[in-house]
Amino acid sequence: MLKKIYLIGNPNVGKSVVFSRLTGVQVISSNYPGTTVEIAKGYLRLDNDKVEVVDLPGTYSLEPSSAAEEVAVSLLKELPKDEIAVINILDSTNLERNLLLTLQLIEEGFPVIICMNMCDDAGHRGIHIDIGRLEELLNAPVISTCAVTGAGVKLLIQRIKEAKPSLRIKLTHEDRWLEIGRIVEQSQRLEHRHHNLRELLEDASVRPVTGLIMATGIIYFAFKFVRFIGEGIINKITDPIFLNFYQPILENLTFHWQEKGFWFHLLIGDLINGKIDFKQSLGVLTTAPYIELGMVLPYVVSFYFILSLLEDIGYLPRLAILLDNILHRLGLHGYAVIPVLLGFGCNVPGILSTRVLESKRERFIAATIISIGVPCIPLQAMIFGLLGKFGGFYVSGVYLVLFSLIIILGIILNRTLSGYSPEFLLEIPPYRFPPLLMLWKKLYFRIKGFLIEAMPVVLLGVLFINILLYFKLFDFVTGIFAPLIHGLFGLPKEAVVALSIGFLRKDVAVGMLMPLNLTANQLFIAATLLAISFPCVATFVVLTKELGFKGLVKATSIMVFISIIVGSLLHFAILR
Amino acid sequence: MKKSSLLQIKENEKVKILEILGGSNLEKRLMSMGVYKDKELIKVSHIGLKGPVVIKVGRTILALGHGVAAKIIVER
Repeated sequence: MLKKIYLIGNPNVGKSVVFSRLTGVQVISSNYPGTTVEIAKGYLRLDNDKVEVVDLPGTYSLEPSSAAEEVAVSLLKELPKDEIAVINILDSTNLERNLLLTLQLIEEGFPVIICMNMCDDAGHRGIHIDIGRLEELLNAPVISTCAVTGAGVKLLIQRIKEAKPSLRIKLTHEDRWLEIGRIVEQSQRLEHRHHNLRELLEDASVRPVTGLIMATGIIYFAFKFVRFIGEGIINKITDPIFLNFYQPILENLTFHWQEKGFWFHLLIGDLINGKIDFKQSLGVLTTAPYIELGMVLPYVVSFYFILSLLEDIGYLPRLAILLDNILHRLGLHGYAVIPVLLGFGCNVPGILSTRVLESKRERFIAATIISIGVPCIPLQAMIFGLLGKFGGFYVSGVYLVLFSLIIILGIILNRTLSGYSPEFLLEIPPYRFPPLLMLWKKLYFRIKGFLIEAMPVVLLGVLFINILLYFKLFDFVTGIFAPLIHGLFGLPKEAVVALSIGFLRKDVAVGMLMPLNLTANQLFIAATLLAISFPCVATFVVLTKELGFKGLVKATSIMVFISIIVGSLLHFAILR
Repeated sequence: MKKSSLLQIKENEKVKILEILGGSNLEKRLMSMGVYKDKELIKVSHIGLKGPVVIKVGRTILALGHGVAAKIIVER
């Protein structure tokens, strides 16, 4: 009786894409090893049975040498072998290296079905694999698929039940590689090809001089592009909708609203010169949706568009190579750029993906650095929106402070934490150009995720704040912290409310600063403080999960300490 | 025949692995990625200032930290 189907394969062979095709469950897939850090599960209907499908993290071998590989191997051994089927997914463009795991799986007696993925890519590269011959040599069903377009997936599903254990003697590693050499020789034919443009670019991006030029250009344009698209969406789409369409409806409503009491305060907020001002009214129906949909969402769209593009092309591991020696000084290695870049979208997936780093020490450094020095895109969007009007100087100032903090903090943590950080060892994927449809799907998935997570928190958050403000319940907290906020950071006492809301969501917190009419310098300090101080509640939860309670206390103390130091330094440096 | 580490050879040079120094864990990891004794490889690039070395083994491109690269002994 078939109870579970496991997807196993080397890192970055497209397991998650096959998984999505089989189960209809959308998961994030990218062109770099280690995208899957959480085990995804879904169901596949096979002859009226619902069978669970498990997407395992990538592994090179059944003898694990990293935490992720250990997880994959131990899950595989959970159930008796006659109750499972193992779909071994291979990258057709790299048959030789992928076959090691395949032989191990067959030798161990797992019922295996082999899925030669990325077959179209192999064709483009002049690699021809004789599927029939491979099936004979391995004595297991072999199906060629191209999961991004869906080709071959139907056949794969039809043949899953053919997965049966087959006999093979256990070999030593050396003999296994010799055997693989023989198998590849008999089943693969290579067309001779000259270097093409793609390969030239692949090489150029990892060489010191050309690589650095390319990296600078790509990062610069990525940043410009995020701003350009984000602002474009605001000016051309969301602002017109809010101002020309939504505002008249609301104003009509307020016009007929007789008694402007508690509920009016909650839903609409304050009228500015008798009119609704989306940036200052602070109502559940006014400022709350405007912050999330009118200020943040456009940048979420543009950021994730660029990030998804870079991920799918396969540029990020190359950036990791170039940044390896800098990151080494911070006790990390090059691959830490992946969690950091994801952290710029949202700290939660960033901290989750610190799992691509091997040691506990590296994960602690990376998670702390992300929660202190990496502002999420909602916060950045609000910083652009508020500080942008005072000029790019202030915006770059925030980034400069955060960047220096990351470097200083990393160096200190690297010097003071015991243990060592392991060496960099990473497979670099070829550049790939996945169908645009895949990119849209991923973008849609991420935006949907953002809206589902953010909207309820923002609406309820603003409602809650308004109730507290209405009954003047904040005055107590404000009273306690006002001397600190005012004396140390030079901010008005009302900013206490905004800074404490930062624990809920950073974008709403900056939103609360909008009606305060702060000067550019004050806004600069407040925005920087919001970025480095306490992470939002969602980040807090993953920090606890990933670092444990002790790690969390350690990381939080560092944050509070740094916020006080940086806040007062900035205050005395620029306000005095 | 000349023995040297991956750090010492030039870019685009094709060499054969003689031995992998260091613990058996590193050897195991490299072995499972297709890097083992007698295997041929091409050095693609080397980022300066103790940066990583990029090699091509078969169709696989690997980035190795400076310390790992120092432990791979090859013959030209």
